[in-house]
Amino acid sequence: MTTVAPAAPAARAEPRIGSGVRNSYETELSKLMAQLPTRILVLICALGPLAFAAVLKVQSGTPSDALFGFWVHSSGFAVSLVILGFAGSWGFPIIAGVLAGDLFSSEDRHGTWKTILTRSCTREDVFAGKLLAAGTCAIGLTLVLGASSLIAGLVLVGAHALVNLSGVLTSPGRMLALTVVSWLICLLPVLAYTSLAVLVSVATRNGILGVLGPLLVALITQLLDLIGKGVIVHELLIGSAFEGWHGLFTSHPFFGQVAIGTLVSVAWIAACLAASWRIMRRRDFLTGVSSSGPSWRAPIKVVAIGTAVIAALAFGCSLGPTGVTAYRVAYTIGNEFNNVTLLQQQLIGRRVPPNARLYVQPQCNRRGTKAIGPGDWSCNVYVYLPQPNSVPYQLTSVEYDVSVQYNGCYKAQSPPAFLGGQSMLDAAGRQVTNPLFVVYGCFNIL
Amino acid sequence: MYIRAVDAVRATGLVKRFGTTTAVDGVDLVIGSGEIRGLLGPNGAGKTTLLRMLFGLIRPDSGSVELLGHRLDHLGGDALDAVGGFVEEPSFYPYLSGRSNLRLVAKLDGVGAGADEIEDALRRVDLAGRADDRVSGYSTGMRQRLGLAAALLRRPRLLLLDEPTSGLDPGGTRAVAALVRELAAGGVAVLLSSHQIGELEKVCDSFTVLRHGRVVWNGTAAELDAQAPRSAYALFTSDDALAIELASRVPAIRIQSAARGGLVVAARPESMDELVAALGDARVLIRRLELVVSPLESMFFALTAEHDGAALDELEPQQLADTILAGA
Repeated sequence: MTTVAPAAPAARAEPRIGSGVRNSYETELSKLMAQLPTRILVLICALGPLAFAAVLKVQSGTPSDALFGFWVHSSGFAVSLVILGFAGSWGFPIIAGVLAGDLFSSEDRHGTWKTILTRSCTREDVFAGKLLAAGTCAIGLTLVLGASSLIAGLVLVGAHALVNLSGVLTSPGRMLALTVVSWLICLLPVLAYTSLAVLVSVATRNGILGVLGPLLVALITQLLDLIGKGVIVHELLIGSAFEGWHGLFTSHPFFGQVAIGTLVSVAWIAACLAASWRIMRRRDFLTGVSSSGPSWRAPIKVVAIGTAVIAALAFGCSLGPTGVTAYRVAYTIGNEFNNVTLLQQQLIGRRVPPNARLYVQPQCNRRGTKAIGPGDWSCNVYVYLPQPNSVPYQLTSVEYDVSVQYNGCYKAQSPPAFLGGQSMLDAAGRQVTNPLFVVYGCFNIL
Repeated sequence: MYIRAVDAVRATGLVKRFGTTTAVDGVDLVIGSGEIRGLLGPNGAGKTTLLRMLFGLIRPDSGSVELLGHRLDHLGGDALDAVGGFVEEPSFYPYLSGRSNLRLVAKLDGVGAGADEIEDALRRVDLAGRADDRVSGYSTGMRQRLGLAAALLRRPRLLLLDEPTSGLDPGGTRAVAALVRELAAGGVAVLLSSHQIGELEKVCDSFTVLRHGRVVWNGTAAELDAQAPRSAYALFTSDDALAIELASRVPAIRIQSAARGGLVVAARPESMDELVAALGDARVLIRRLELVVSPLESMFFALTAEHDGAALDELEPQQLADTILAGA
């Protein structure tokens, strides 16, 4: 039957106001912010650093295994950087998972695809709106976490100078700039994790896998960091992109890892989003019937593919050049020992001439196996001290246990018998942190 | 000025297969503006798949869909701009209130439905009193009402409704029927899929019957009346034996005793008129006469019963009526 329409051809009932993407974005944003997990996450990001700094304030212990952790009682910047380090390993994957891991699968769970896709929005609009909303929230929460950690550190500990990763005391102004830049550098890798969560959510239609997916990838990244000596595969993992900022905190900053981390993040984002859109575009939205087979197939497929990828990555971790070598470890340890020793001398009131250098000869060996790759190293630092009555020098040796990560960062610690305790008295008689007790450093592995 | 005729729905040769099953098999469907079309079919006939294709939720393997003159691709967009409705049970975000859900879908439409418009839609579906409750606490009927409200917000020119009265109380069902008629009077085309044949019969101008994914009958209510096999009536008289004898003299009428008393008669309306007149002439009192199987129902059962090739007149609607009455 054909009828004559009152207005033709094809008059619209109402003109659209604004673009579909904008409408979808605003809708998704309000949905995300209405959900309890998102609200809890906002609270944790806003108040968590304050709670962390407050706990540190009332106890003497330090999270010394984390980079800068030894300095949390000395400088507020260390608080922010410790939180950044933790977030890079676990916090950002959790944020990405909670925000984006259930973004698409929740529509399947609630049966609401048909509700939103039968309005005046195309699939592109809905897809883009969801991505933008997740990206906005991920960036927003990262910035909230960064700001909160910085405020917590500066308010509760103070805007004091901080020893950098080359053992040099760095001014508060420079530290503030470096800390802010470090948080900003992490935004792109956060978006990479968010994209990964989107892909898992779209591919599996399973919220649990979507939320836990980035966390599992972070865990696997941590485990892969413990094996293999090769640089190539390590640098291709999303988790590695969170470590680029380390190079900024040395006296001779290196930016290679930041650049690689940026490229790797962009590649992950592009790959995950392209795959997600491909799935979304071709999908039929059915209820109770899946055109691609039973509902358990997708998670099983993901687990099987994931296992194969992990095995391949584990094998690949040994490929390529090695970043951690005996020469690099020894050179960096020797240089940093020189710097922190001079800093210690300054703290106890001795005059240190500008550009003064000790005559230091470090020797480093990896425990157990050959002297290459991350792991536990032992370094003997031989110091030749000029003495009036000694011919020609007095030789002192300091032994450091050095834990070196694949990314070239390390923590070196010596028994208190060699270098004194965790704290010491400065020239004014105040208790200060002994800079020689724990030494953090990073060298360029590229 | 030249005005081109625009159909609300023009679907041509739609086919959808899931694996080896063909859910929709070459369906053609044309619905004009202001027309209320009933879509019928037994479970698995392809009604929901057809509606999902009309909404662009699934891609047809072949065929095309035009809604209000706009070609629909499976990615949605412009073609759905003035199309409202829902397929299967309407779904909403359980953690939001009914009102917030409506705000959200209105925003997706980009038509800027204001608070007044949302209130009006809530009032029209009688949900204003519970609009601030979370949808997770809604009954099926309330979700159904919210689905209708969401459809109304679009100020649609085409409504696609799948079982809109499912879960509604009798008052709600009547209100939905009145609403559909009111919208159609304003030029809105409606495709109404339902298992409640009685409800469809009261509202629809035309019908499409699906079976095994194919259209097995398509036509207006008048065509239905002309083509439908005999309807079935329950007849209670003062003298059933005489009534049976009188009925045997009327052509094209079948009569038998019902299992729980009274008679069951299968006849076309004109034959039934003749029987009633004959009963009156013979002073047989008619104590009760009611339509048990309507023309649409008899047509539906005839078309969808599992006996391919049987002529419509060979079917026995009075047997069905007897079964219905026995269960009553």
